Amino acid sequence: MLQNWLRGMKMYFYMIGVSIRTQLQYRYAFVMNILGWAMTYAGTAITMWVLLYSFGAIEGWSFWELLFLFALSVLSWGVCVVFFFHFRMLDQFIVQGTFDRFLVRPIHPFFHFMAMKFDVGAFGQFLFSIIAVAMAYNQLDLHWNVWQWFVFLGAVIGGTLIQGGLLIVISAMAFWTTRSERLYWVIMWPAKSLMNYPLSIYPRVVQVLVTFVLPFAFVNYLPALLLLGKTRGIYSPYWGFFSSLVGAVFFWLCFQLWMLGLNRYKSAGS
Amino acid sequence: MIGSLRMYGVFTRKSFQRAAAYRFDAWTRILGNVIMLCMWGFIWYALYQGRGSVESVTFHSMLSYILVSQALQGIHGAGTPLWEIQERVRTGDIAIEMLRPYDYPLRMLFTDFGSIFFYFLTAVLPLYTIIFLILSPVLPTTFLQWGLFILSATLGYFIRYCIELTFGLFTFWLVETGGVEDIFYFSISLFSGSVVPLWFFPDWLEQVARYLPFQGIYYVPNSIFVGQLSGHALLMALFTQIGWLVLCFAILRYVWAKASMKIVIQGG
Repeated sequence: MLQNWLRGMKMYFYMIGVSIRTQLQYRYAFVMNILGWAMTYAGTAITMWVLLYSFGAIEGWSFWELLFLFALSVLSWGVCVVFFFHFRMLDQFIVQGTFDRFLVRPIHPFFHFMAMKFDVGAFGQFLFSIIAVAMAYNQLDLHWNVWQWFVFLGAVIGGTLIQGGLLIVISAMAFWTTRSERLYWVIMWPAKSLMNYPLSIYPRVVQVLVTFVLPFAFVNYLPALLLLGKTRGIYSPYWGFFSSLVGAVFFWLCFQLWMLGLNRYKSAGS
Repeated sequence: MIGSLRMYGVFTRKSFQRAAAYRFDAWTRILGNVIMLCMWGFIWYALYQGRGSVESVTFHSMLSYILVSQALQGIHGAGTPLWEIQERVRTGDIAIEMLRPYDYPLRMLFTDFGSIFFYFLTAVLPLYTIIFLILSPVLPTTFLQWGLFILSATLGYFIRYCIELTFGLFTFWLVETGGVEDIFYFSISLFSGSVVPLWFFPDWLEQVARYLPFQGIYYVPNSIFVGQLSGHALLMALFTQIGWLVLCFAILRYVWAKASMKIVIQGG
């Protein structure tokens, strides 16, 4: 068992090593990919700034607090992109019948598919989010205790697992509908954008949905309440502690769904 | 002339049928559009809480602005996206298009018409009619205002089309287009006034936006729709749109002429 795991890990690192080297082959594309992502997020941040220019605040959130909220979700999304972003493309493999190769190798198919790519483009997300969090930390004059740093770390881990879990669910849809990439862009991307703004602006039904069903709230809003010292509102202030736990449970459920789909898979090849 | 028009019409019809065959895709797209609509609706509602009007615009007008903006964005989004044009250049598929006896930019336009008609008739029109009836936002009051809005929205469509295709054709020179497309998407989301109207911009940024072609895409038609633009200013805005359209079209033709000379096909 342990030996199997060690062998799997060794293989994983070998394969992501190959993936990183392939991406580094094209220098210009590599740099532009990173800068492109950083610019896209900076663009959203500028839109937020313009939005708050005439209004000052949204539900008591100033621009810097809003930027912190946004950057926190981008940070964990970055980690998630590194490991899971290519899951959205599962439909291509299924439609073209190339998914079969993941089934005939002596490594777990999920693990194998995950190891296919290690997306270095995500450094664009890190570039933006780390700078933005640092700027917000300075501007808001925050001084976090040790436990708040743990909440921050927990939010990044939990956010990665929650968003990664959702990507896995989206990809699992390909087993049933042979579509996943499009579902990502038309459903998950807009739904994820909702979380760039404080949850309290949405009606109660949306709040319940993103807290208990698709736990986006644990990605950034609930931890941000703790980290920015915001206590007003209907949420108990210590919910933000549970990001990692919620993430782990949710990820496990998503993984089970993916395996359920995998067992149902029939090759589309000739 | 009539003959070639009929030929391009065939592209429109075929693309309409294609969209009808893949209607699942069209209808999932409208779901994403509605999620974004809800998001911006609630954002503006929250921003306006406890305020009557900001910069002499009420929430009622702003709601109308967001609704018409999202409807237009849905229509624009039904056309061929930038990445697909880039992909066609990158894979060399465009070479086959050049061999055929039609004008590629024009053929793309007519193909887009087909998918847009389908999307508009089956998704945007019914859905937004219901939303407008439920929310009853500010509507144009006269037929003239309706007419000017439709004229302006059409001009906006052509402006966006010319700019997007031009950006797509840059792939002929760049091959790797990361960065270029990000500039395009950023400009089109902020400077077009798609989510934040220009009148809420800081003054200096508003000046910048007014010297760019993007305002003609959503900001001008939306403002006409909600009645923020009227009289002399409206005429000026329409003329600016026409001016930009002529310029963008000229640039597109120039880039296309250059690109046809400069075809590099990868792979063997």
